[in-house]
Amino acid sequence: MGESWFHREFLTVRRLIFNFLFYGSHLGLFAYGWYSQETNQKLAGLNSLKWSVWSSRGAGLVLAYDGGLILLPMLRNIIRIIRPRLTWLFPADENIWFHRQVAYSMAFWAMVHTTAHYVNFINVEETQIRKQIALQIHYTQAGGITGHFMLLIMVIMYSTAHQKIRKQCFEAFWYTHHLAFFFMIGLYTHATGCFVRDSTNPAYSRVFPFYTTDHCLGYESWRFIIWPGIIYFGERVWREIRARRATRLSKVLVHPSGAMELRIIKPSLKYTPGQWLFIQIPELSRFQWHPFTITSAPEDPYVSVHIRQVGDWTESLGERLGVGPSVVKSMTQDAMKGKEKGLSRGDFVEIDTSVSTITLPAVRIDGPYGAPAEDVFNAEVAMLVGAGIGVTPFASILKHIWYRQKRGTLGSLRRVEFFWICRDAPSFGWFQSLLQEVEAAQADPNFLRINIYLTQKIGEDMLWNIAVNDAGAEYDPLTLLRTRTLFGRPDWNSIYPRMRGAIEGGSYLPGSKSQLKTKVATYFCGPPVIAKALKEATVKYTTSNVTFTFAKEHF
Amino acid sequence: MGNLIWHEYSRFVAITATIYGIWAGFWGLFYRKFFWDFVGGTLRDPGGIQPARSAAPFITVIVKIPLLQIMAMVLGLFILALEWPLPLMRKLPIYRNLIVRIVLLLFQAFIMILFYQGTNAAIWSLIAVGCYTRAVARGETMAEAKGNRGKEGQA
Repeated sequence: MGESWFHREFLTVRRLIFNFLFYGSHLGLFAYGWYSQETNQKLAGLNSLKWSVWSSRGAGLVLAYDGGLILLPMLRNIIRIIRPRLTWLFPADENIWFHRQVAYSMAFWAMVHTTAHYVNFINVEETQIRKQIALQIHYTQAGGITGHFMLLIMVIMYSTAHQKIRKQCFEAFWYTHHLAFFFMIGLYTHATGCFVRDSTNPAYSRVFPFYTTDHCLGYESWRFIIWPGIIYFGERVWREIRARRATRLSKVLVHPSGAMELRIIKPSLKYTPGQWLFIQIPELSRFQWHPFTITSAPEDPYVSVHIRQVGDWTESLGERLGVGPSVVKSMTQDAMKGKEKGLSRGDFVEIDTSVSTITLPAVRIDGPYGAPAEDVFNAEVAMLVGAGIGVTPFASILKHIWYRQKRGTLGSLRRVEFFWICRDAPSFGWFQSLLQEVEAAQADPNFLRINIYLTQKIGEDMLWNIAVNDAGAEYDPLTLLRTRTLFGRPDWNSIYPRMRGAIEGGSYLPGSKSQLKTKVATYFCGPPVIAKALKEATVKYTTSNVTFTFAKEHF
Repeated sequence: MGNLIWHEYSRFVAITATIYGIWAGFWGLFYRKFFWDFVGGTLRDPGGIQPARSAAPFITVIVKIPLLQIMAMVLGLFILALEWPLPLMRKLPIYRNLIVRIVLLLFQAFIMILFYQGTNAAIWSLIAVGCYTRAVARGETMAEAKGNRGKEGQA
């Protein structure tokens, strides 16, 4: 797929710096751990085990480092606060990516550390430098027990975290990943067995940490790496407290396309457009939190999310609200066929609690959490690209832009180009109705331009439908927008140069002086293939006058 | 548990256990020890545990000749070829058979539990066996590769 591994890892400046710092610090710590063990005269007894003890000490120090790093990208609230200030330094939105890199590194060094210890213990038994057998060290001492236990936890956590499993059964991933709690306990207590000592027997004591550092000569790494663990734990507690604040589900709207819109009122929640949150419905599941993009603008008096019934949790939510999959399926089919069945695509049904027997369940929300599209108002031109279900964050952003347009506080933003690439438009009926509102409210026809690309194969019926209804009609027959639907995939290699040409020629942003630098920010949400093509285009077409930037959002 | 497809999950555990097993077998060639030698064995200083006379057959195939370790590596490489999979394995009639995997993994667990380095690989193999058994009990089958649809994300 395109560029080579070497090109990606070494010829991109940012990645090269990251690789140098990340792997450099790992190797450096390994070398230091090795060296300080080998040259420590007090540990001469242990050093008779030679290379195996040196590498186990080195790898142990690296593992401690990784154990401290692995929780840092998971401090979601802290990242959300520092993110806006630090985007120039590191891509804070890539936190899951970093978490994974640390995990891979941890697996590798765990292999080194464990292999070395298997050699250590068999040699201890054979030489009897300590009067123990190998299996005693493995299975009766703190280091051995916690070590084997951590390896088992790693197998379970890593295997359920594979993206295939996460997609199939998010719960399996979600629940098993909480074994991290026990993993961390194991990590912090791994050295309490006092394996690294200059005395014959472990020097235990009655006071915390229950061994004396006069004779137990480990690196005491837990003193440093326990802090991310404590902060993470505190953050989870804080998230729980915050989730318990007054929250009320005020309205549920069902769109003909099958999307359920939950309108939630939570006065204590402050958010910016493009952010997302976790939702919990205790009645359905007491422990599960599900991530959703916020689709309302901060100016709206409620927080809304649009939920499509695609998984077992969302389906049971539908059942609970009396709009289960069977009901929605028939609604979706009607919507696909068009508006003959009474409701037009933009309309929706509100679940009315005063008439029906359905009550609204209690909800809890945890959030908001970051997304790069917050920075939209710092650029002159914003290119918002959503593909498939990835349009959801743009609902909030477009609404917010619309509110700010009304108030006249658009910042430096002059024009918005919105691209929506989707396979079948009718299944996103709710989004179309939103687009219709925004489009209809445009006073300046040049401010917002909507470009819709339909990538699905078009059947004969649809072709005739378009041919008959499109010509001369005011609205596009498929989307009911004034904007015409384009068919096929967008060609970024012609869109970007055209835009650059228009900006440099002064026709695109009338009034802006050509010597000024224009910033065109691209925000993307959707599959990685398109992200890559977009990123390449933004790099390729940047000139001294026009800067194209690129940011993408993750789910 | 949601829509978890157990045999797809079990594959990951089996691959992990097997790679661990191959690595353990490799180190077992150089540091040979019968895991259960403490049963009836006597501790000598220096020299470590001297296994009981009854353990002699195991000592022959683990310490004198590292036969079990070599078997573990060969079996491990075969399971890995089946699970990863190696392209030519796809053509084998046993490729879509979950029972075969259970038997192979049980056999792997049995070998692994006998020598010093193999304990974790044995336990993890048994976990994979458990998950495969569950897959069989639920009537899961390995689906045929879907025509020429291509890989996800390469649209």
